[in-house]
Amino acid sequence: MRPTDALRTLLAFIVLVVLHFTLRPLLGWRASPDFFVIALLLVAIRVRPGTAAVLGFAMGLVSDSLAITAFGIGALALCVVGFAASWLKAVFFADDVVLNAFFFFLGKWAFDAIVLIGEHRLGFIATARELLVWSSLSAAVTALAGLIVLLILRPLLRTAAS
Amino acid sequence: MASAARSVGRWDSGLLIACVVLSLVAQGLPDGLRASVTASLRRTILAPLVKMQYNAELSRRSWLTREARTVAEDSVALRSMRLAGVENENVRLRRMLGLGHALRWGFVPAEALTRREPGEEYSVVLSAGSQDGVRPFSPVVAPEGLVGMVKEVDPSMSVAILWTNPDFRVSAMTADGAAFGIVAAHLAGGADRYLLEMRGVPLRSTLAPGTLVLSSGLGGVYPRGIPIGTVLGQIKTSEVWAHTYLLRPTVLPADVREVMILLPRRAMAGVAGVWTQGASADSAAKSIVAAEDSIVRRAARLGAGTGSAPAADSAHAPGAGGAGRRDRP
Repeated sequence: MRPTDALRTLLAFIVLVVLHFTLRPLLGWRASPDFFVIALLLVAIRVRPGTAAVLGFAMGLVSDSLAITAFGIGALALCVVGFAASWLKAVFFADDVVLNAFFFFLGKWAFDAIVLIGEHRLGFIATARELLVWSSLSAAVTALAGLIVLLILRPLLRTAAS
Repeated sequence: MASAARSVGRWDSGLLIACVVLSLVAQGLPDGLRASVTASLRRTILAPLVKMQYNAELSRRSWLTREARTVAEDSVALRSMRLAGVENENVRLRRMLGLGHALRWGFVPAEALTRREPGEEYSVVLSAGSQDGVRPFSPVVAPEGLVGMVKEVDPSMSVAILWTNPDFRVSAMTADGAAFGIVAAHLAGGADRYLLEMRGVPLRSTLAPGTLVLSSGLGGVYPRGIPIGTVLGQIKTSEVWAHTYLLRPTVLPADVREVMILLPRRAMAGVAGVWTQGASADSAAKSIVAAEDSIVRRAARLGAGTGSAPAADSAHAPGAGGAGRRDRP
């Protein structure tokens, strides 16, 4: 990645992180878009899997520091999601809207699944309900938000990707 | 999105394993150490993010609070609107209480239910009947003056015609007794329909606008001295040997809520002095209110002396049908 491309990607990344800490609490939805996951996936598909894992780990630590969930579980989830996204993007090379949306959906849902299972906070039924209902909804909203972000940042990201 | 073909090398796998191990180590940290790590992160590099999150949540909370405050303000406004209705009712009931005090005996308070069916808008259903002593042709009055006459009587309710009814007639005179005539509804269209006309006034008598017209007591139905209306002016009719005057009624049909039905003995005995004669209808109503005020003051003194409930509570009697009946002198 060229330095200018890296800078553009970094800019998009910062915007998404800021949105995560401003727009998300402002909306206050139960199934709200996860801009953190979008930001990670946006970067992960442009870097090597190892780098994506480290970035995911760092972002997870940030997320864990601001949440009451078990410390470290977010880091584990995001590093796995980042690594997998980078690797999958390499395997399924395509630039398609539906594929991008599916990536966002899958990334958010996988993150929720790892956190919920890793926490051991809820019972089996509650975990299953949370995963099937709320995580799916949240993943869908995240996918939608991710697509909107991609459309808005298209000029910036296209230049960065080309 | 574009991507370069990548393969997972040993370096990438190593980084992933390292991150996973570190994550597991972070999960296994003792609570105290974990708290100090997260706290130091929040106070240093995450401080701007924490601040942004805090401000966003504060904005959301203030927005929600604003909505709650708007709802509260709306409910207060609604309550104050209802309060105006309660105040009006209070004024009406106080006037009724004053009228009851002035009449002293021989009346039945009743609530009037206006009938809205086509052709029946000129009559009202009263919440008092023959069980309360009401008889057909009993005069129906309000603190402001004459309302109408009872036409049909059932045991617990009765039907009265208002002065707006085309069949309504009352023998009337001016307050000074100088001119007599027959008052009936002014059967015109539009807003004038809710006016009265005084027919058969002798040619020698000229009534000035604002002259108060009372019932004359002739005919035996309405006792002498009940305010009917005030003169607005003369109107042209086909009558050659008499004048006809347009009157503004003292009681408007829309204001007929609580009324007094005069029992036959009371109607025969007359209502002299109840509505101040020789004065305008407004001052007559004021004198009734003043009389009511004196009752309230007296009741308050009695209540203070004996600890009993003030007599002002009896102001609710009209709504209770015949509960407030007084038929003895």
